[in-house]
Amino acid sequence: MTATSAPRMSKGIRGNERSAGWLFVAPVVLILGLFMLLPILMALWVSLTAWNGQGSPFTAGVPFVGADNYTRLFAVDNLARLNFMTSVRNNAYYVLFVVPVQTALALGLALVVNNRLLKGKDFFRTAFYFPSVTSSVAISVVFLFMFTNGGAINEILAAFGIRGPQWFSDPRGVIHLFLDRLGVVDVNAPPAALADHGVFGLTWWDWTSGPSVAMCAIIALVIWTTSGTFMLMFLAALQNVPIQLDEAGMIDGANRWQRFRYITLPQLRPTTFLVITLGLIGTWQVFDQIYVMSQGNPAKTTLTPAYLSYRTAFRDFDYGSGAAISFVLFLIIVLLTVSQRWLMRDRDQPRRRRLSRGRA
Amino acid sequence: MALATDPRTDRSAAPARPRHRGGGASQRALASRFLGYAILIFFSLVFLYPFVIQIANSFKTEADAAANPLSPVPHPFITDAMVRIFEGTAFPTWLGNSVVVTVVVTLARVLLDSMAGYALSRLRFPGRGLLFAGLIALMAVPPVVLLIPKFLVLNQLGMYNSYAALIVPIMVDAAGVFIMKQFFDSIPASVEEAARIDGAGVFRTFWSVVLPMARPALITLTILSFQGSWNEFPHTVVAVQNPSLFTLPRGLADLVSGSLGAGTQYPLKLGAALLATIPVAIIFVIFQRYFVRGATEGAERG
Amino acid sequence: MTRSRLRAVALAAVATGSLVAASACGSGFDDSNQGTTQQSSGPASLQIMIGSSGDAETKAVQDAAAAWASSSGNQATVTPAQDLAQQLGQALAGGTPPDVFYVDAARFADYASVGALEPYGENLAGKDAFLPNLRQSFTFDGKLYCAPKDTSTLALAINTDLWKKAGLTDADIPTSWDQLTAVAQKIKAKGTTPMAIGDTRDRIGAFLVQNGGWWVNEDGKQATADTPQNEEALSYVQSLLKQGLAKFPKALDAGWGGEAFGKGKVAMTIEGNWLKGALKADFPDVKYTIKELPAGPKGKGTLSFTQCWGIAAKTKFKDQAVKFVEAMTTADQQMAFAKAFGVMPSRQDAQATYQQQYPEDAAFIAGAQYAQGPVNAPKMDSVLADLDAGLQGLQNGNPKTILQRFDKNAKTALGG
Repeated sequence: MTATSAPRMSKGIRGNERSAGWLFVAPVVLILGLFMLLPILMALWVSLTAWNGQGSPFTAGVPFVGADNYTRLFAVDNLARLNFMTSVRNNAYYVLFVVPVQTALALGLALVVNNRLLKGKDFFRTAFYFPSVTSSVAISVVFLFMFTNGGAINEILAAFGIRGPQWFSDPRGVIHLFLDRLGVVDVNAPPAALADHGVFGLTWWDWTSGPSVAMCAIIALVIWTTSGTFMLMFLAALQNVPIQLDEAGMIDGANRWQRFRYITLPQLRPTTFLVITLGLIGTWQVFDQIYVMSQGNPAKTTLTPAYLSYRTAFRDFDYGSGAAISFVLFLIIVLLTVSQRWLMRDRDQPRRRRLSRGRA
Repeated sequence: MALATDPRTDRSAAPARPRHRGGGASQRALASRFLGYAILIFFSLVFLYPFVIQIANSFKTEADAAANPLSPVPHPFITDAMVRIFEGTAFPTWLGNSVVVTVVVTLARVLLDSMAGYALSRLRFPGRGLLFAGLIALMAVPPVVLLIPKFLVLNQLGMYNSYAALIVPIMVDAAGVFIMKQFFDSIPASVEEAARIDGAGVFRTFWSVVLPMARPALITLTILSFQGSWNEFPHTVVAVQNPSLFTLPRGLADLVSGSLGAGTQYPLKLGAALLATIPVAIIFVIFQRYFVRGATEGAERG
Repeated sequence: MTRSRLRAVALAAVATGSLVAASACGSGFDDSNQGTTQQSSGPASLQIMIGSSGDAETKAVQDAAAAWASSSGNQATVTPAQDLAQQLGQALAGGTPPDVFYVDAARFADYASVGALEPYGENLAGKDAFLPNLRQSFTFDGKLYCAPKDTSTLALAINTDLWKKAGLTDADIPTSWDQLTAVAQKIKAKGTTPMAIGDTRDRIGAFLVQNGGWWVNEDGKQATADTPQNEEALSYVQSLLKQGLAKFPKALDAGWGGEAFGKGKVAMTIEGNWLKGALKADFPDVKYTIKELPAGPKGKGTLSFTQCWGIAAKTKFKDQAVKFVEAMTTADQQMAFAKAFGVMPSRQDAQATYQQQYPEDAAFIAGAQYAQGPVNAPKMDSVLADLDAGLQGLQNGNPKTILQRFDKNAKTALGG
């Protein structure tokens, strides 16, 4: 490094650095502290009260209710719990459908685009990535138009002889419809065993409904929008996979599928992990599309915790409950991310650590 | 599997190419190339055709749009919807607000994020480690959780329903600081050290020496900030409620949902959405490289 | 290193603490001032927020406001809200509400009970001119809070062209449920969707009234949804939906019944006075007539809707705001509004004039005699929203379950 003559001079320079350092980060600290840290603390306080939106939440008159707002979401049989559990169910199915499909699609597209034998990589990459750059509100408008009863999607389906559903007015769950098709259950007459018993305020029949037809339109929209970004990540990772690995596999007689499964996929592991994590975090927060397209309708099947939190606070004037819902959502996301990290942890790590310790 | 040796060190000899293995293989290769192109073209249509629909239907009459939504050619071609957007809605206001907010936020983010990133990377000051850890923790907080609380804070500070509310809270973002720090970490300190030894102060060094070196990262940051602030929506929902302060996404949402959007009027809505998308589209096409780099750098974040 | 680390942590704690303290004493609100907002005399700049039913209403109110502004030397800005309840809620919490705004009778109790409204109605000159049952809708704790601006009822709108096409005449206009079904079947046989009915309690509720029931009891303190009469009423609507004799607007690609009606997709729709203005503005070629809703087994029934001019308790221009409201509720102004977007005046004298000038609205006026007002109790909004969600699924749902769920939720909210 810049040798021994530096220390004498650097003391003077370093001293300057301390105040300069704080000065440089001051705006960021101030703004992030004010608009990220402080809000969290304030919201924590509000979630322990029954503040109704009039006046400041820090005055003496604001009723303190402790953990009531939280317990009402889980333990008390009322509308708040029903709404919350419905929103969790909706969002859970949404995540279940979106994350695997968008990961697989992103990976698939990346593999095809990356193929050495195909030209026009730049154009295709741009085409697939473009939807991710545009405003979610603008895209929602386009998809609202495409999914109307006489719209583009139904026209395409009609070309195949399928009568498309009334997308945004159909509250029936997809799993129910599927089982109905198979003849196992009747969508309009749910079996008593499922419809009469339940947990957390929703019957088993409700829990197993799957995303509604309306929700499926939103699922399609989100997959369409975000696959491009994840495809780029996979592309970058693929480009870091040395070609020799693949060719070695070919020489050893592995067919394409085996090469993919045993060579490429393990190399992509960190990226796959990242894509799934980002996917989980993103899908649990879906808000824009709900606000613009459906506002929770039809029949609350597109209600999500993020939107419910907003609506409870700003429409029902129940800020305490709204804040509580958003914290529970935060908790859900953290738990999922942590458990996902644990599930997908690199089990080879301990071995490598031992090796490196051995070498050192 | 059969790969016992580290392929990066070995395999100097050119491996046998599958194509030379025989006629059957080259036919397979052709078939797979065809399949590959077919897939690419199919998905290009899937990803791009909705925009074609958007453009085409902005220039159709309502009846035509309802009857032939898939057709890319309007019959007849009218610009009524576009005219109505500029005259009948508050579109010019929204556009103006969006421009103001985006420009200010982008400039602020580029400056402040790079300053903070530089400080975290190069300058030694007490609490640096703690700050960085805090930054990462904040990056993990989902923005939707902050929706209500931000409203409360804006309220308490008396900033609610003003331009300040639209701009200040998003003037810096933790991810931008992180990207800049990563970048500064990756370049050698020798040039700065030389400047400092020559007696330049910290800020001078930063401004004249370091920033010019950081051009690629700065451009990426600019692009990402521009896109992020132009498309920002949830924040505008809680920051303002006076319609004269609406930005494009908020105004568009207004137009589409809620009581004012009860009649369908799709050409109007699609036209407004189109106009909202065009600036970002143009920037995207010109600066593709940097968008791509931004996305992949986001990957390295993980 | 550890000492400076400690110092850094201490610094951070102090900073956070001072931030919190600063914001707690911040300039956002000052509770102590609640009753004594600084009144400003002199030229006022009033912000008026309305929940418009369409362009016709927006323009009418804007014109009236402009006229008042120029004649009184003040400024008045009218803003139509995308979602009035939401935007108003945010505005009230934000401390800068509009000075004057629509307050719907269904949500009136919510606003009044939290002190967001100025009870100017008590001292309003000429308050007795308003219809008594409307005044009742806007009285809370014995005080008249605001002046009702107009009233509307539901009636049956019939597209005369499609009616004739189905081979029907004036004699076939339904006056009972059975006749409604029969007529609808005839229309359906000719290939038109017979009726569009909104998928909310604000339309379907009319059938409950026609069968002698209602969601809550007389004084609004108890939930009475789960009764055999209500179940019959909902089952009847469900049968119409199942047989394809009636459809929800969304199923017809329309935002509301009036749009489906205006586009000629249905022969009948159940809508209120606002339908006239909307049709005139957006669908001027539709020829239609308005008839009273068919009576149910227990008699005629319809729903009434009304809103009042609310003045924010925190407004700085109370006197000017009251003068604005007085100007908006003169008999002449009410007639002008009636002409522009078809609502009925809330003043008795204006109603008499209205009856003379608009004989074709006889059905709406008659309906006002037996109309049921909205559920008016505080904190019922999310219960009613849940009810609407249930009604949206009425076609394939179970009416009794919907009613039972409402009762259960309402009981918690009403505290009874």
